[in-house]
Amino acid sequence: MPLEFDRAILGQEFDRVEGDPVTVDELVAFARALGETEPCYVDPAHPELVAHPTFVVRYRGRKFLPDTLPDPLKTRMSFDAGKDIEFGVPIRAGDRISVTSSLHDIYEKTGRSGSMTFVVVRFTIRNQDGALVGTIDNRMLYKR
Amino acid sequence: MAPRLGFDDVFEGDELGPEDWFLAKEQVRDYARANDICFPRFMDDEGARAEGLPGMIAPGNMSMGLLTRLIEAWAGRGTVRRMGTTFRSVVLPDRTLRLCGAVTQKDEAARAVELDLWIESDEGDRLVVGTATVQLA
Amino acid sequence: MILDLHLHSDRSDDSRAPVESYLKLLQRKRDERPLDGIVLTEHRQFDPSRDFRDLEDRYGIRVLNAAEVETDYGHMLVFGVNADILARFDFADVRLPAQEVVDAVWRLGGVAVPCHPGRTNVGLCAHYETKPPLAGVVAVEALNGGSRKGEDERVAAMMAAHGYAGVGGSDAHLVSFIGTVATAFDADIRDMDDLVRELRAGRCRPVDFRPQRTPAASPA
Repeated sequence: MPLEFDRAILGQEFDRVEGDPVTVDELVAFARALGETEPCYVDPAHPELVAHPTFVVRYRGRKFLPDTLPDPLKTRMSFDAGKDIEFGVPIRAGDRISVTSSLHDIYEKTGRSGSMTFVVVRFTIRNQDGALVGTIDNRMLYKR
Repeated sequence: MAPRLGFDDVFEGDELGPEDWFLAKEQVRDYARANDICFPRFMDDEGARAEGLPGMIAPGNMSMGLLTRLIEAWAGRGTVRRMGTTFRSVVLPDRTLRLCGAVTQKDEAARAVELDLWIESDEGDRLVVGTATVQLA
Repeated sequence: MILDLHLHSDRSDDSRAPVESYLKLLQRKRDERPLDGIVLTEHRQFDPSRDFRDLEDRYGIRVLNAAEVETDYGHMLVFGVNADILARFDFADVRLPAQEVVDAVWRLGGVAVPCHPGRTNVGLCAHYETKPPLAGVVAVEALNGGSRKGEDERVAAMMAAHGYAGVGGSDAHLVSFIGTVATAFDADIRDMDDLVRELRAGRCRPVDFRPQRTPAASPA
């Protein structure tokens, strides 16, 4: 049976959260864990220290999924199927990052894992000045 | 940060890498800690198997980070404008990954290129595939 | 003639590859992947208005249009899609009845070829372990460019057991993988009618242009 849901839930913001100021330690730990050696990513004393571009994936809402998610999906385990990221301004130490979450899409298809439902949750991520740090479409896979 | 690589110096078909990277379990744990995602599947084999996985796995986001490193080593820091990836198969640590890329299109107006990106296991299976848009000088 | 029978362009939801980029790469890599044509097999859709004649003229490579649909026996490539087939089936349906697809597509002038049949749990081989074999299948995708270790080997046994001919396709979703696996025909393939005729007769064989993999460097 195809999954039935009210498509009006798509595009609606379901969560917004603002984090504590980004610390130098967080920036450096993330970059080093990726094997980075560039001083601007891993040297705490670097005058131009900046976050690795994919640091933006650390940010997510308090609720990863909306309450309006169709009931059949709420109890099923999901898997990270992939991401699409648009990168904005870099993140620096001291930035306060906010994340706004919305349900971007729900669709079905079949593949290696059999019949699957994909739920795409969009994070819109900004800094304290309102500048866009990144947009992330998270594709979550639910097996039927 | 200014791109290091000039748009006019790049051609469709140019390859990035390939770079062979041994992904150690401790590196995966470091990444999990740095992202505050210390779930059992990212920390040890026993925890992962309890979740029905074959063993400890690396977070999908980590793959994107490794591919970004490949791009920036080629084009310079701060050059990635967009990246999209599909996680086709779990990435198991304590194995060598092969990070690969290739230029597929050039956008004269934007002075940007499109890349194919992928990560192969040590047996040649494609674990992660994707594309990226990279700004050049 | 050699054609890649299975690939996806930016019309498929999981690909960003423009058709022209595929042709450019094939032109550049002509020595390694000597293809005469490609067949677009977009997921769950078919647009009969797509016109590739300008690209064919510019690049000297045949571009044909087919589809990949999803059935209760796994995915199938449908060649020879026409108005009658489109009226009979909703290609967006992810649960098409496979036997009806095979029968009706054949009756209406096309041919349905199960693709990546060796995939664990979801490919045709797996379905044949618990369900009756499909009647009327003449060929399956013996080599798929996205297959994992062991998957294509599983297909060979099924082909022998059921007398299926084999085709090959890259299943490219990225430009870089076009033509790594393809299908060879002894006949000239000028259009989809020629392709359907040769596939129906089983006059085809898979070819593999994947490069030998160099072993990874040992960890330091």
